[in-house]
Amino acid sequence: MTVTAPDGVGVIESRAAALDGWIALVLRAGTLLSVGLLAIGVVLMSLAGRSPLDATWPALDLGRIPGDLLALRPEGFLWLGLLATLSTPLLRVAASVVGFLGLGERRMAGLGSAVLVVIALAVVVAKGTQA
Amino acid sequence: MTVLVLLAAGGFGAGVFGSLLGLGGGILIVPLLTFGFGLPFREAVGVSLVCVIVTSSAAAGVYLERHLANLRLGMLLEVFTASGALVGGLVAFLLPDRVLAGLFAILLAYTGVTMLRRGATAARSGAGLAEPGEDPAGPADTPGAFRAALAGPGYRPARLGAGIGGSVFAGLVSALLGVGGGIVKVPLMHLVMGVPLRVATATSNLMIGVTAAASAIVYLMRGGIDPLVAGPTAVGVFAGATLGSRVAQRLDLRLLRLLFVAVLALTAIQMTLRALG
Repeated sequence: MTVTAPDGVGVIESRAAALDGWIALVLRAGTLLSVGLLAIGVVLMSLAGRSPLDATWPALDLGRIPGDLLALRPEGFLWLGLLATLSTPLLRVAASVVGFLGLGERRMAGLGSAVLVVIALAVVVAKGTQA
Repeated sequence: MTVLVLLAAGGFGAGVFGSLLGLGGGILIVPLLTFGFGLPFREAVGVSLVCVIVTSSAAAGVYLERHLANLRLGMLLEVFTASGALVGGLVAFLLPDRVLAGLFAILLAYTGVTMLRRGATAARSGAGLAEPGEDPAGPADTPGAFRAALAGPGYRPARLGAGIGGSVFAGLVSALLGVGGGIVKVPLMHLVMGVPLRVATATSNLMIGVTAAASAIVYLMRGGIDPLVAGPTAVGVFAGATLGSRVAQRLDLRLLRLLFVAVLALTAIQMTLRALG
């Protein structure tokens, strides 16, 4: 079965179309979550009367984020929003890998896994070269 | 409070213009933060990468829903854009700000010339878009099976080797200068690989998120992203890009494009002066 793509680009298989829709959902949810968290952080920063350029910024400390969220401190929401922002494209790749495996496209799943390996390498290298 | 509002407003403006003109906001955000708010170049790049990811994720969702982005081709190329971005993210911390500013000036000039050419093409053809199925790269030069898996309705990507090499370069540019790299990826896919322009644009947008994330992780872990600046700017960019995408169809973009090229030229001059110290 096929699905017509808009704007005259042609037709695509319905299972591939379903995968596109599923991944679009992941991206949309991730974006809304990220922007929502950042927006809350901005509002809290405004209420606290803090200026973004006033001082050095708070360091990323994953252990502090839950406490900052509970205490409604802006940095907790901002850091979590930034982490959600960076994670959204990676979740998209992970969802694609799962989807390609479901479609029996092992080569494409392999490529998606290779992307995730590069990202993991970025984490390791960045950690190893931290100042 | 004022700075916070100005950052959000600046991000909003960058989002609107970027969306109207088919660019990521990065090309505007870096000059905005460096010249407007006095941020060091590398810090501006870190914030810009965050904004670029937000706009890419939002736009890519829409492109996928409309089945315009080629997920398989994007997946292949982003292995290499992400690799380039990883290297670029590390190199960025070794280069002086002046060198980065000089590279950014070159990118601005290139973008301005590209936009003028695009405007002239659009004026001649009425749309400036490749027709579905057209293959400007000519006959394919890579073996069939794998390329067939990357094919879309009416086209089959050619010259994968060149596409891969160009993708590494696009990743490097993105990481060093805080832009999405679409200015490299779209011509690469369309003119070199023979992918229709609308698909190339949508696929580039899909890839930008992963490309920018690879280098943003390096910036983040090396203390190169200021959350207090990134928050308001990213929220502003998201709101601006959302508005821009809704009004783009109703506006005559010719005058806007010329105005934008003038802004790019002025910014390129300022960046050059900064590079020369």
